[in-house]
Amino acid sequence: MTDITKQAFAPARAFMSDDLLQVFYRLAAALLICLALAILSDSFLNLGNILNVLRQASLLFFIASGLTLVVLTAGLDLSVGANVALSACLAGTVIHQTGSPALGVLAALATGGIIGLLNGLMVTALRIPSFIATYGMLWVLNGLTYWYMAGEIIHGFPAAFRQIGSGYLFGLPIPVYLLLIFLSIGTIFAQRTIWGQEIYAIGANPVAARLSGIPLSRRLLLVYAVSGTMAGLASIIFLARLNSAEADIGESLTLPAIAAVLIGGTSLFGGVGTVFGTFVGALILTLVLNGMNLLSVNASWQPLVTGVIVILAVWLDIKARRRGE
Amino acid sequence: MREAVLAVTSNPLQRIPGVAIMLLLLVAVFGAVAPGFMSEVNIANVLVQSTLLLMLSLPMTLIIMTEGLDLSMGAVLTLTSLMVAIVSVATGSMLLGFAAAVAVGLIFGVANGCLVAALGIPPFVATLGTLGMAQGLALIVSDGQSVVGIPHSVSEIYSAAPFGIPVPIVLAILAYLLFHGLLYRTRFGAYVFALGGNREALTYAGLSPTRLLISVYALGGAMAGIAGLLMTARMNAGHPTAGLGLEFDAIAAVAVGGTSFERGNGWLGGTALGVLAVGVLRNGLNLLALPSSIQVASIGALVIIALFLDGFRSRS
Amino acid sequence: MSVRETIYAGLTVLAAATIATAAWADGETIAVFTKNQTNPYFQAVRVGADAAAKALNAKTLHYIPTKPDSIPEQLSQIEDVVVKKPDAIVFTPVDYKAMVPGVEKINAANIPVVNITDRSAAGKFVSFVGADDYSLGLETARYLLKTLGGKGNIVIIEGVKGSLTNVDRVRGFNDALKENPGTKLLASQPGNYQRLQALQVMENLIESHPQIDGVLASNDAMAMGAIEALEGANRTALVIGINGTKEAVDAINSGKLLASGDYNGFLQGCVGTTIAIRSLRKEPVVPEIVLKPTVVTKANYQSYETPIESRACPTWDDATKLGAK
Repeated sequence: MTDITKQAFAPARAFMSDDLLQVFYRLAAALLICLALAILSDSFLNLGNILNVLRQASLLFFIASGLTLVVLTAGLDLSVGANVALSACLAGTVIHQTGSPALGVLAALATGGIIGLLNGLMVTALRIPSFIATYGMLWVLNGLTYWYMAGEIIHGFPAAFRQIGSGYLFGLPIPVYLLLIFLSIGTIFAQRTIWGQEIYAIGANPVAARLSGIPLSRRLLLVYAVSGTMAGLASIIFLARLNSAEADIGESLTLPAIAAVLIGGTSLFGGVGTVFGTFVGALILTLVLNGMNLLSVNASWQPLVTGVIVILAVWLDIKARRRGE
Repeated sequence: MREAVLAVTSNPLQRIPGVAIMLLLLVAVFGAVAPGFMSEVNIANVLVQSTLLLMLSLPMTLIIMTEGLDLSMGAVLTLTSLMVAIVSVATGSMLLGFAAAVAVGLIFGVANGCLVAALGIPPFVATLGTLGMAQGLALIVSDGQSVVGIPHSVSEIYSAAPFGIPVPIVLAILAYLLFHGLLYRTRFGAYVFALGGNREALTYAGLSPTRLLISVYALGGAMAGIAGLLMTARMNAGHPTAGLGLEFDAIAAVAVGGTSFERGNGWLGGTALGVLAVGVLRNGLNLLALPSSIQVASIGALVIIALFLDGFRSRS
Repeated sequence: MSVRETIYAGLTVLAAATIATAAWADGETIAVFTKNQTNPYFQAVRVGADAAAKALNAKTLHYIPTKPDSIPEQLSQIEDVVVKKPDAIVFTPVDYKAMVPGVEKINAANIPVVNITDRSAAGKFVSFVGADDYSLGLETARYLLKTLGGKGNIVIIEGVKGSLTNVDRVRGFNDALKENPGTKLLASQPGNYQRLQALQVMENLIESHPQIDGVLASNDAMAMGAIEALEGANRTALVIGINGTKEAVDAINSGKLLASGDYNGFLQGCVGTTIAIRSLRKEPVVPEIVLKPTVVTKANYQSYETPIESRACPTWDDATKLGAK
C-alpha cells in the first residue's frame, strides 16, 4: 500500500472504534426508552408487543440499510419510498399473473435494483447531485406508479407468500430472521470487505480515495444499486404483510428511513456510521411510535414528539463525540 | 445574473444556465400548443401562483449557500398560516395576525439556527426535527380542522391589485429585490458567501459565524411567516396540512437554478428562474389537461434535465 | 445527448401529447376535479364521470393534484381551468372549507359547477350529489352491532382528523354505539385512512386489550389493515369498513370482512356529470341527490361485483330516485 492509500484508509480505520462507541451509546438510549415504556405501560413488555416492535423495526430497517451505504458516501437517496411503491406494485402484478411468488420476488429486486442503478448513473455519469437526482427520480417513479395503478389496489396473495410478512418461525416473526440475516450481511460487507472499506474511504475523502486507485464511479454505482435493491426487498415484505399493493405506500417511508440512518449515527458528510447503528436508529423510532400508541397519545402530538426525539438523539450523539475527542 | 454568466467559459451556448434553457423551452412550447397560455390572465396566474414558492426559495438559497438546508419551511409555513387565521379571527385584525405569523416564523428560524450553529447538529437533522415540531403544533392549535371566518382584510391581500398588478406579484418583486440587495450589495451578503466557502475567514475577521448562521435561518423563518399571510389570504382559511412538502419544491428550485450544495456559490436569479420554470410547467400541463401522472413525472424530469444541462455545461 | 437533441426530444414529446389530447368529441367539455390519484374511490368517480359523458356525447377532462389532497394545487388548477373555460365543472373539494375561494372564482367566471362527495361550505352550485357519511357510518355500525347481538367490546379506527367524511362517519359510529348500551368502546385511534397505519394501530390495540369483539373502521383500506393485524395475531373480531371497494367486496365474499358501507363513487361521478350536462342543455335537474345509505353484506354483495369499467350509468329517471328521502 502506498502512503496515499494508507491516508485514504486511515480515517476509516480511526472512525471504526469511534463507531463502536457510538453504537454503544445508541443501544443504551434504546434500552432507556424501553425501560421508560415498560414503566409507563403495562402492555409494553407483552411478548406480542415486543415481537410487533421488532417486526415493525425490521420493515423500516430494510429500507434504511441500503440507504446507509449511500449516506456513507456523503450521498442521499430520496427515492426509496417511491421505489418501494413501484416495486411492490410490479411484484404484485407478477404474482397475480404468474401465480409464482418467487417470480414476484425477482421482479421486486430487479425493479429496485434498476431504479438504484439509474440513480447511480445520474450521480456518476451525469454528475447530478444525489439530492436532486433522487428527488427527480422520486417524482418520475410516482408518476409511473400512479399511471400504472390507475387508482386500483392489487390485493389477495397466496397464503404461503404472506408468511414472509406475517408468519412466525419458532415463535419469532419471519421478518426478524430476515433482519438478522441482512444486518449480518450489511455489517460484514461494510466493515470486513475491501468494497466496504472503499465506501468509507470515498465518504471520508473522495479525492484521496480516487488518488489511491479506488474506482469511484463503480463503487458509487454499487451503493445506489444496493440501496435500490434493498428497497425492492422491503417492498416484498410490505406486500406480504399488507396483503396488497397500492400506489401511495411509499409516501410516508422515505423520511423515517433517513431519520433512522441519521439517528443511528451515520453522518451526512460521509465516512462515519454503521449498518448496526441504522438498526438501532430504526428501533428507536419504532419504539417511540409504539409507545405513543400504547399510551394513547393524541395523534396531533405524535409528529411533535418524534421531532423532539430526533433532535435529542442526534444532539446527545454530538455531545458524546465531542467529549470523546 | 451577470456575475454567474461571466464566470463560465467562452463557449456561448454554455453561458446560458440550464434553468434558463428549460424555461425558454417550456414557454416556447406551451405558447405554441397550450390554448390560453400567453393570455394576460394566465401569465398573471402563473406569476401569482409562483409567489409562495419564491418567498420560500429566496431564503432557502442563502441557507443552501451556507452548506445548510431547511426542511422545516413547509411545516413552519403551515403553522404561520394557521397563526394568521387564528389570531385574525380572534382579534379581527389582519395586522395582528400577520405579526403573530412573523413572530412564530422567527422563533422557528432562530431555533433552527441555534440547533445548527450553536449545538452543531447537522442541518438536515435539526430541521427534520423542527419540521415535526411545527407539524405537531399545527395539528394541535387547529385540532385538525380548517380555521374559517377570516376577516376580509386578510383575503384582500391576495386578491387586491393596485394599478392592475396583483399584490402577491408586488410582494414577490419586493422580496426578490430585497434579497438581491442583501446578498450582492451588503456586507451581510458577503458574509453569507463566506459562510459557505470560507468560514475560517469570518473568525479571523473577528465575526461570529454562529450569529451569522442564526440570522440566515431566522431570515428563512421570517419569510415563512410572511408567506403564511399570503397562503391564508389565498385559501381564506387556515389549514393544518396545507403547506407541507413545499420545502422540497423550494430546494429543488434553488438547485435547478444553479446554486450548488457544496461550493458556497449562489445565484438568486437562478432560483427565481427555477421557481418560474416549475410554475410554468404545472400551468402548461394543466392547460393541456394532460393526465396527472404525466404531470408528476414531468416535474421529476424537469429537475433532472435542468441539472443535467448544467453538469454538461460545466464539464467542458 | 447534446443540448439541441434535448430540445428536439422535448418538443416531440409535448407535440405528441397535444395531438393525443386534441382528439375532441363533439359536445360539451366537463372538467372533473378529484382529490388524488391513489384512492380507488376517486378512480371510481372518474370512471363514472367518463361513462356519463360518453353516454351523453360529451367530453371530460380530469384535474388531480400532483401532491395528493393538496389545497394550493387544487386552487391553482381551478385558476388554470378558468382560463380554459370548460362548459361545466364537476367538483370534489380537497377541503370543504379551504376550497371556498376556488369555488367563488368558478362562480365569478360563470361556469356552472356541480358539487360531489364532500359538501362545500359555501359557493353557488347547480346541485350536490353525495352520500351521507353520517348515515353510512350509522347504518354500517348498526349492522355490526346487530350481528353481535347488541353487546361486546368495540374499537373505532378513525380516518384523517379534520376530514369531513371522517367527522361524520365517526359520529355515526358513536351514535350507533349509544343505541346499544351493552357495548363498550375500548379505544378510538386514528389510522389516517392508511392501511399500514391501521394495521400497526390495530396490532398495538390487540396487545392492550385481550378481548375485542368488533372493529369499526372509517374506510375499507383501514378495515383490511385491521383484518391483517387480527389474522397475524390469531385473533378474530367482526370488522366493518366504508367505501365498498372491490377489495372489500371480495373480502365480504370470503367472510373476512363483515360489511362495508357503500360510498358509491361510480354513481356520484356518473350522476354529477349527468346533472352538469343536463343543466348545460337546459334540461331539468334537482338541487341535490343524497344517496341512500346501503350496507354491502354477504346477502347483497353480488351486485357490487361488476367492475366499475363495465357498469352503466343509471338513466335520469332512475337517478332521481336514488336520493334518500
